[in-house]
Amino acid sequence: MANVNNWQLKREMEYPYEESRPKKQIGYIFDTNKCIACQTCTVACKTTWTSGKGQETMFWNNVETKPYGGYPSKWDINLLQELDGQEWDKTTGAYKGKTIFEAAEEGEKVKGWMPNDRDYAFPNIGEDECSSAVDKGAFFNGFHNVWMFYMARICNHCTYPGCVAACPRKAIYKREEDGIVLIDESRCRGYRECIKACPYKKTFFNMVTRVSEKCIGCFPLIEKGEQPRCVQTCIGKIRLQGFLGTPKTARIDNPIDHIVHFKKLALPLYPQFGTEPNVYYIPPIHVPIDFLQQMFGPGVAEAIETYKNLKNDKQLLGALLLFSSTPKIIYTYKVIGEEAVGYDEAGVEIVRVPFVEQSVVRPFKDEVNGTFRTNTP
Amino acid sequence: MKNSSIYSVLALSLGMAVANAQTLKSTKVAGFSEKDINAKEWEKAVALVVPVQPQNIIQPAFNKATITEVSVKSINDGRSIAFLLEWKDSSRNAMVDTKVFSDQVAIQFPQVAASEPSFMMGNQGGRVHIIHWKAIWQDDIEKGYRDVKTAHPNYWSDMYYFSKKENAVNEPAEKEKFANSATVDQFKSVEGRNYMHGAYAGNPMSLFDRKQPAEELIAEGYGTLTTQAIQNSNAWGVYEKGVWKVLITRPLASEDNADAKLTPKTQFAIAVWDGAAENRGGRKHYSMWSELQVVTK
Repeated sequence: MANVNNWQLKREMEYPYEESRPKKQIGYIFDTNKCIACQTCTVACKTTWTSGKGQETMFWNNVETKPYGGYPSKWDINLLQELDGQEWDKTTGAYKGKTIFEAAEEGEKVKGWMPNDRDYAFPNIGEDECSSAVDKGAFFNGFHNVWMFYMARICNHCTYPGCVAACPRKAIYKREEDGIVLIDESRCRGYRECIKACPYKKTFFNMVTRVSEKCIGCFPLIEKGEQPRCVQTCIGKIRLQGFLGTPKTARIDNPIDHIVHFKKLALPLYPQFGTEPNVYYIPPIHVPIDFLQQMFGPGVAEAIETYKNLKNDKQLLGALLLFSSTPKIIYTYKVIGEEAVGYDEAGVEIVRVPFVEQSVVRPFKDEVNGTFRTNTP
Repeated sequence: MKNSSIYSVLALSLGMAVANAQTLKSTKVAGFSEKDINAKEWEKAVALVVPVQPQNIIQPAFNKATITEVSVKSINDGRSIAFLLEWKDSSRNAMVDTKVFSDQVAIQFPQVAASEPSFMMGNQGGRVHIIHWKAIWQDDIEKGYRDVKTAHPNYWSDMYYFSKKENAVNEPAEKEKFANSATVDQFKSVEGRNYMHGAYAGNPMSLFDRKQPAEELIAEGYGTLTTQAIQNSNAWGVYEKGVWKVLITRPLASEDNADAKLTPKTQFAIAVWDGAAENRGGRKHYSMWSELQVVTK
């Protein structure tokens, strides 16, 4: 075991391999406040990558409904209840509990659990169901004494992947050029150790090819400078994909770094697992803080406060305007006047988004055609 | 986890130094069947009972043995050699799903007997030759490819443009409405393979028309298992009254240089997997080396 630095935990931790960060690290930000669970991302991914036989219940991208939903069922609860004492130091902000690597039993590399076929059978469980409230307070009182939010999930392309740690054949690797985590489809022998180990349950076993598969970060698109399918197709514009720095290498003009490192508005999902996941979530503002702290770590309250004050931070608001605004990968951005402008790797302008969309109100009566109109915003 | 390095050192020293004193004698017969486990040629062959233990040296490991020994017999006809492996297993497991695993057995030989490789699938420079049989592979051949519909009969996949419409349903009027659920045969085509990542990559786990339920491999230590280019071994298993009997055959003097040389004597080791106990990969029962004497006269 090596000692590696996990900046999300603000401490060193044990991992089977030495720290080896890629030249660039793919990163995503999902704004949970804007997601409507339309599943366009899920369908875009499904039709592109997993429409084969043996992939019937496989969703590399899924959108689930918290607190009850989960695909595979109870993917997070099953692990959380096995990890004791997930506490954070109140003064230093460091994680005091054990990661999935540190909590592994003798004979295991990773603390995990193995899903069964039925766990994959209900991808929409918990969605819009009349369940009773989780007893942690409520956003609405009285009649609507419940809360929920939608959470889109893909592979986190972790810096310290559980799947890589668990594979006895070294059939899983993290690409040096962009940090995407891939399973070598010619090398895997279907032992399913990665499926047991991945805390996010984002590696899947194909029972027809009898080897495991996972989200490939749409690397053919990444290689030509485009964002993945799930990001491009998001009609709610909740997603942004780019390349993420560490606290030491972050650049303030990189929209992802700006949001994650400088404004700390977007947070990793279950950072206590210790894999340093690279999909960041803007937490929902209407959910009990206790629940969110377990899910996104200690920075939740501040992130929600920042979100509520977005209108006073034009640089941050500018970065958020760039979400799903262009198929191209944005490397840098600037706020120029009343527009947010995104640039590609070479510094060429690729998108320009106004802070206030132009709107035109047309007269109700169309005099030319002698008819009436309905205006839709 | 903390003690893994100590265990590794122990394993290496055990693997190098300790050879099991017991000997299996492969006796000469006039000829034998590759599938008939009850053939009279086996009656006189003397069995060597090889103890197996749960693999808890290398991670991932497991601790609770469900199989304790494998009985091994061997005969040869001067051209081919056969091994009959028998062990008790309370259930026959030959299906596939995320958490469903197959019964399996493998026999291992040093590629060069004098190199004394580790019994743990060899070591760098100490190569081993492995013949690996799986119950599910045999069912693929005997009963048809174990598919999604085998495990979940109500699954229907007919959305592919190459899904066949003929014989869809008995009623002629319905013929054009519904396609048959696509079978794995349709995914052998060039366009079909695009949907099957493992098959597209040529993974030996994703063979839809397997000819033998055994695979021949080489290894130089755990994690290095590699399918041989030339596959010239056969295997066949029968499950009767709580006992697996698996017959593994191979040429005695192989023309494949990657195959182990067996004559006049060498060593062998056994690995056996219990599917019901979620055995797979390194989570297996293994034996140390035993001696093999091949009598060809």
